[in-house]
Amino acid sequence: MKKKLILFVAIFGFVVSACKDLDLEPKGILGEPELFGTAFGVKKYFTGLYFKLPVEDFIYHVTTGYQPGNKNQWQAYKNGLDQMCGQTFGWNVAMNNGFGYWPYDNIRLVNVFINNFPNYKDKYDVATYNSLMGEARFFRAFFYQGMAKRYGGVPIVTEVQDPVNGDREVMKVPRNTEYDTWKFIYADLKFAMENMASSSESGRANKYVAAALMSRSMLYAGRVARYTQYLGFATEASVQQGFAGMDPSKANEFFQYAFDAGKVVEQGPYSLYNKNADKADNFANLFLDLSSPETIFLKDYDGQTYGHCYDALMLPNPDFSSFVGVEAGPTLGMMQLYDFPAITDAQGKPVRFNSRSDIKIGMEPRLKGTCYFDGDVVRGKTFSIQRGIYNKFTGLASDAKFGSNAAPVNATSNRILGNKGDKWDGTKINTTTGSFITGDQGMFSGRGAENNAFMGAFIRKYIDPTLTAAQATVNKSSQPWIVFRLGEVFLNTAEAAYELGKRVEAFDYIEKIRVRAGCQVTRPALDQTVSSTYGYPIEKSLQFIRDERARELYVEQHYWWDIRLWRIADQVLNLYYPHALTCYYIFDEKKYIYLDEVNRDNRSISAQKRMAYEPIPQGEINKNTNLLPQNPLW
Amino acid sequence: MSGAALLFLASCQKIDNWDEPDARLYGNVIDKYTGTNLAMDNNDWQIRMWDKTWEEKNPGTVAQFQSLAVMRDGVYNNAKLFPGTYNMLPYDGPFWPADTIKGVVLGKETQQDFTVTPYLQVLNFKATLSGTSLTLTCTVKAPVITGLPNFYEVKGFLSLTTFCGNANYINIGDYNNLRKQINKSWAAEVGTGDSKDYTLGPYPVKSGYTYYVRIGANVNALSRRYNYSPIVKVVVP
Repeated sequence: MKKKLILFVAIFGFVVSACKDLDLEPKGILGEPELFGTAFGVKKYFTGLYFKLPVEDFIYHVTTGYQPGNKNQWQAYKNGLDQMCGQTFGWNVAMNNGFGYWPYDNIRLVNVFINNFPNYKDKYDVATYNSLMGEARFFRAFFYQGMAKRYGGVPIVTEVQDPVNGDREVMKVPRNTEYDTWKFIYADLKFAMENMASSSESGRANKYVAAALMSRSMLYAGRVARYTQYLGFATEASVQQGFAGMDPSKANEFFQYAFDAGKVVEQGPYSLYNKNADKADNFANLFLDLSSPETIFLKDYDGQTYGHCYDALMLPNPDFSSFVGVEAGPTLGMMQLYDFPAITDAQGKPVRFNSRSDIKIGMEPRLKGTCYFDGDVVRGKTFSIQRGIYNKFTGLASDAKFGSNAAPVNATSNRILGNKGDKWDGTKINTTTGSFITGDQGMFSGRGAENNAFMGAFIRKYIDPTLTAAQATVNKSSQPWIVFRLGEVFLNTAEAAYELGKRVEAFDYIEKIRVRAGCQVTRPALDQTVSSTYGYPIEKSLQFIRDERARELYVEQHYWWDIRLWRIADQVLNLYYPHALTCYYIFDEKKYIYLDEVNRDNRSISAQKRMAYEPIPQGEINKNTNLLPQNPLW
Repeated sequence: MSGAALLFLASCQKIDNWDEPDARLYGNVIDKYTGTNLAMDNNDWQIRMWDKTWEEKNPGTVAQFQSLAVMRDGVYNNAKLFPGTYNMLPYDGPFWPADTIKGVVLGKETQQDFTVTPYLQVLNFKATLSGTSLTLTCTVKAPVITGLPNFYEVKGFLSLTTFCGNANYINIGDYNNLRKQINKSWAAEVGTGDSKDYTLGPYPVKSGYTYYVRIGANVNALSRRYNYSPIVKVVVP
């Protein structure tokens, strides 16, 4: 007992004396003076914010969100935005009601900087100080647009709140209207554009990056203002009070901002990527060339500490990758948005091809740069993709009923399906004589993904062809994600211009995109007749501009936001069945045909109408009822 | 060990400071045009209710709604509610927006019926079987055309159980693709009249099975719930 007491006294004595020494400034911790007082310190502070920007890239997962630093991203692409909205088809359909994005922790970090950085103004020259302040405003706008495109109006917080001593009621910041939220984003980006330097190191923002974000954000805002009225949500409290949706009269204001921001980007050192004579290879290389003049802003990976799995997940295993194999394939509906060869003739019969690869004759180079088809070579191997054999096929393509087993022409005696290596000799399946039933990369009747092209083609965009199949494995991909590129900005400007009535100018931009893409018709004639495919009237040429966006930006994680903010997601995705492109060998004719078949799972994709807005996270409402009313239908 | 058991028993003894919810609320959702219960599928849409008593007891709070499921016969019933005063609203169903009924007092047993005005009526429903092909016909009528949202689609629902509607149907492409997608104003689709006939199918059905079928029609309002015909039983020989 006595010993213990002595020990206790000894420890206590130590603690007391140590307390005195704690008055010293700790040397291993970077405080505000170190971080905000030098450009290097600010860079360190900003690095963490860049890391957390809401960029939907290779590792974005629709139900768990942005996952900076989390390396276990191999399931990201099958839960990506493109899979969710039917641009690609793979193993499952991810839910589209979001993950409760609520980045006020990051916004607080930005606000700490914006509020306290003026204390260090004397340590910088004016240009550097302004540029860093502009960069902070760029961050804040980026976080806010990540929320505004999901929720509409959200609380605007510019002060650094004190959660310990502050007034609880003051901290319950009410929702701002959607109009005010987008205008707040506008103001931050306007400041950023006016104050940031005009160039920056790779991966860091400058005034043109801010302008590109302005172009995209303001286009989104314009669409919300113009098209939310067609959702039929007018009876909803959140709409009536302006938290979700804006008055259509505000649309042109935002489209004008988007248009003007696009013009600013054009003053920068950017041009459409045009280094290769072959337009298909050129389009593919645009996403891989680190010196591409089209890239405005990128998010980098190194393949080691920060790698992603894109190469491992988009090409078949084991011939072209060394992981779980294909998670997402292109849908036929998407392919046919491009210049695509006819697969049926005027009578509706399937066109006969001498070889499977002839499907690429007359195909738009941009599509060939976007997808791999039969006959394409990468990693030293050639894709061979075929679904099966028809003994005879004399009728119409429609006789095959989109691949249904119930169609008479698809009786098992006439349509022969098999697995890798199986041959058909005219009477029976064997492995020695006759014609191969499938290609080396499918399409197999077995369910496995190994080497199986269950959509009839593979995604090429962003695939790094310099890797070997062994190197294309989990978390080893290092190609950066291009957050903004000039092609997108041109499409933003084109859409904004058309919405503003500048139809000819809009198509000047579309023409630039289509020339680079190698399209057959680079400048389609203006068609102002009205299309009401989506229940509200838009001119057919505007629909063409929207489709051009789908073509050019395919699998760049744009399409979900596009159809959602055009307010047509619930209509585009209304029991939508992704279709596959399937090649068959006609045994008695020794020719090939291509058919349009429904996906092998007979699976459809739907988006509920309430997905036009995500719900304000319930956990936040529980803390702060000033966030009510909740968004429509939630 | 015994200490743990004691603790466990002791925690069981703890009595909640709130009485068990024991109020029962039930009622019908009545179609204004027919005077009978609205044709629907199980839990197609819900009745929202807000506990105003709780708000009174906790000043400064805002009660969030709870949802009551409505069954396919248009009846709802919940016997585990807290007594008190509620506001109630049939929400996001296939009817013109209803008024919130304020101050519904829940005692031990409370009946609260709602009368709603459907957007559309699906009338004269017939299912005609020819071999293994099933054809569905109906007349879709819009009693009120002024302000009607876009007429969206007419869809056949086939089910192998007596549950039939958007929550319970054979959800396959072969059937889904036979729905009539419209998405036009009533005038553009129907003209000046208030009704139009539709024929859907033929649906391929299987010999030896019994199907339960109906047609639903909807307009582009809120979540686009369907107004249904009655369910017809079809025995395929």
